[in-house]
Amino acid sequence: MELSRRRLLQGIAGAGAVGALAGCAPSAAAAADVVEFHGPHQAGIATPVQDRLAFTAFDVTTTRREDLVALLKTWTAAAEAMTRGVPVPGPAPSDALPPADTGEADGLAPGRLTITIGFGPGLFTAADGTDRFGLAARRPAAFAPLPALPGELLDPARSGGDVAVQACSDDPTVAFHAVRNLTRLGRGTVVARWAELGFGKTSSTGNSGGTPRNLLGFKDGTRNIEGADDAALGQHVWVADGDGAGWLGGGSYLVARRIRMFVEPWDRDRLSDQQAVFGRFKTSGAPLTGTDEFDTPDFGAVGPDGPVIAEDAHVRLAAPENNGGLRILRRGYSYTDGIDARTGTLDAGLFFLAYVRDPDQFVTLQRKLGSSDALNEYIRHVGSGLYACPPGTTGPDDWWGRALFT
Amino acid sequence: MTPTRTRAACGVAALASAGLLASACSASSQQASPGDPPASAVTIEISDAGCGPNPATVPTGPVTFAVTNAASAKVTEAEVQGGGKILGEKENITAGLDGTFSLRMEPGTYSVYCPGAAKDTWTFTVDGAAAGASSAPAAAGNTSLTAATQGYHDYVVTEVAQLQTATKTFTDAVRAGNIDAAKNAFAPARVHYESIEPVAESFGDLDPAIDARIDDVTDPTRWTGFHRIEKALWADGTLNGMAPIADELDADVATLKTKVATNTYQPAELANGASDLLTEVSTSKVTGEEDRYSHTDLWDFAANIDGARKAFELLQPALAATDPDLAQQLEARFTDVAQGLAEYRTADGGYQDYGAVTDTDKRSLADSVNALAEPLSQVAGKVV
Repeated sequence: MELSRRRLLQGIAGAGAVGALAGCAPSAAAAADVVEFHGPHQAGIATPVQDRLAFTAFDVTTTRREDLVALLKTWTAAAEAMTRGVPVPGPAPSDALPPADTGEADGLAPGRLTITIGFGPGLFTAADGTDRFGLAARRPAAFAPLPALPGELLDPARSGGDVAVQACSDDPTVAFHAVRNLTRLGRGTVVARWAELGFGKTSSTGNSGGTPRNLLGFKDGTRNIEGADDAALGQHVWVADGDGAGWLGGGSYLVARRIRMFVEPWDRDRLSDQQAVFGRFKTSGAPLTGTDEFDTPDFGAVGPDGPVIAEDAHVRLAAPENNGGLRILRRGYSYTDGIDARTGTLDAGLFFLAYVRDPDQFVTLQRKLGSSDALNEYIRHVGSGLYACPPGTTGPDDWWGRALFT
Repeated sequence: MTPTRTRAACGVAALASAGLLASACSASSQQASPGDPPASAVTIEISDAGCGPNPATVPTGPVTFAVTNAASAKVTEAEVQGGGKILGEKENITAGLDGTFSLRMEPGTYSVYCPGAAKDTWTFTVDGAAAGASSAPAAAGNTSLTAATQGYHDYVVTEVAQLQTATKTFTDAVRAGNIDAAKNAFAPARVHYESIEPVAESFGDLDPAIDARIDDVTDPTRWTGFHRIEKALWADGTLNGMAPIADELDADVATLKTKVATNTYQPAELANGASDLLTEVSTSKVTGEEDRYSHTDLWDFAANIDGARKAFELLQPALAATDPDLAQQLEARFTDVAQGLAEYRTADGGYQDYGAVTDTDKRSLADSVNALAEPLSQVAGKVV
C-alpha cells in the first residue's frame, strides 16, 4: 500500500503528563526483587516498568464456566508463587511424574516479576452474539472490540484473544517461564492464540533514568503517567467504582498493539526529517522547542518555515494538551521476530501496551494519529488486542476475576 | 518412528525392568554414583556354545559386564535382558575382541542372550533388597493393576497378530508389483503398528527396521520398512527392487510377534507408553511428516490415539480409585480427540488425505491432543 507520508500513531505515546517527572524516586517495591502480588490493583500496571516482557493471548476452548473458574484459581496461585520466585505449586516431586514446574527459572531471582491478566470482549459475548459463560450482562458498556482504526493492517493471528497475560521481569527467562507455565496449566481449557516477547522497555513509569528509546532511536512518551502519581492514575488509568463497570472497579483496560517499524527506510532518512517526524531532538530527546528530555513542548513556537514542531509531528498529535487532556499509561516494549521472509527486512517494532480507564482514550488518540501522524510512513499497526484487567487480589483466598464470576 | 524413539525406548526399558536404572541406551556410559557399592564384575565369554555369565549371581548395585570372544565366528554379541527387553548389550564382538558395559541393577532375574549360540539364553540373578520403594515391582497384590498389565499384554499380542496379517496383504501386493493394491493396503497395515509403537520401540533395532523415515537413516541404501515402500509407491511410482524390502518387513514383523508373545509390562509403562503415543501424534503426525508421501497420517494419528486409549482404559479402574477427577478428565479429553478425528473419517472406514486438511483444522486437532497429553502425563505417578 502507498503510505501517504504521515499518518498514524506510534506512541499514543507522547500522551505524557503535562509536567515533568514528579516524584521519581524509586518506590520500595522497585528496590526489592519481589513485587507484592496482592493489592487493590493488579501489579504490572503502575509498577515501575521491568526490562523484559512475555505476553500471551489465549482463546478459551472450554464451554464450561466451572472449568474457566478452576483455571483462574489455579493460575492465580501459580502466578503468586512465581512472583515470589518459588516454583509452580503441584504434586510432590516424583520420578514417575513430570515436574509441576518446567524448571528453567530455577535459581533465578524473580527480577520484580509481575503477572497481569485481562479478559477480552469475546469472553463475554462471542462474535455471533452467544453469551458463552453467562457473562454478557456483566460486560461494561465501554468494553467493545476496538473499531477499525486508521493506520492498521491487522493480522487476525496476532490479534484478539479471550484472555491475555502480561508477564514482566528484569530477567527474560523469568518472564518467559511465567507465561509458559500458565500456558501449560491451561491446556484443555485455553490455548495460546498469539504471543510476543519484548526485549527492551520503551517506557518508564517512575524510574529516574529517563525514558528508554524505541527502535527508531527516539525517546517517545517522555511524559508518561508516573506509577506513584495516584491522582493521575485515578483520573486516567484505574476504572472507578462509579464508572458503571461493577466488578472492574480498581481494574484497568489494556490496549496491546503490535506496531511494526520499517526500520530500514527509517535508517536512511536524514536526521532533520527524523527529528521533524517526532518533533524531538534525537540525541537529547528534548522537544524541538526545548533542550531537555522533560521540557514541555511549545506548540505555538514558529520559525521562518512555520511551526517549529510541525503540524503532523508525532509529539504534537499525541500531546495531552492537544487532546483535551487525554493521557494514557504506556508500558510498551521493543520486539523482534527475526526476518520478514517476504521482504528480507527486520520484523521488529514496538509492542505497544497502554493501560487506560476507558478504551475510548486510545481510540480517540489513534484516530488522530492514524490519520495524520508523520510517523505513519515508517510504522504500521499489525496486531491488536483489548482486555479488561480486573482489580487486584486481596489475599490467598482471592483469585483473578472473582468479582466477575461470583 | 520419530527422532524421539531412542528416548522413548529408554524410558520404557527402564520401567519394564522395575527400577533398573540403566537401560540399553545408557548402558555403556552408566556411572556409579558416589556412595554406591563397588561394581560387581561379571565376565561373559561368548562362544559357539553359549554365553554363561560368571558369576551368575551378584548383589544389588552397579554391575560391569566384560564380554569376551576367544574364537567364535557365529556368536558376536551378548545382551542382558529383563522383562523381555534389552537393558544392555555389546555387539560386534568378533573373535579376539572384547568390550564392557555397565548397568545399575535392582533385584530380580534377568537373562543373558547371545543369538546364534547353541544355548542362547542364560539366567542371571541379582540378589538383595530393593534400593527404594519406587523400584519395587509395581502393583504386587493390586488385582486391578495386574489385570491392566495382563490386558495390555493381550492387546499388544492381538494387535501384532493383526499387523502380521495386514502386512502380508501389503507385502504380497508389493511383491506382485501391484501398485494400487499396495497403496490400498499400506495404511490399514500400519495402524496395527502405530497402536503399539512404544512397545515395538523398546526392542532395539526393530522399530527403525520397520518404521524408519528417510531422515532417520544414515545410509539411504539400507533404508527398510514401511516408509521405504511408501516412497516407492507414491513418490517413485515403481515397485522395482521392493520385493526384498517386503520380505524383510514380513520377517521383522514376525520377530516382533515373537517378542511380544512373552513380553510383560508394568503399570507405569502403560501410562508412559500412552504419553509416548501422544508425543508421536503431536510431533510427527500433526505435522504430516510421518506419511509424507501417502498423506495417510490421520490413520496413524487415530491408531496412536487408540493405543493410548486402550492403555488408559485398562488403567482406569485403578486410576478411578486413586484419582477419580483425573480419570474423568481423561475420559472427557479422549472423547474430544475422538470427536475431532471422526470428522475426517471416510465412508469406507478410512481417513481423509491429510494434505487436504486445512492448517486451522490441523491446529484444532493439535490443541485437543495437547489438552489430553497434559493430564495423561500425570497417570504414571498414580499407578505405581
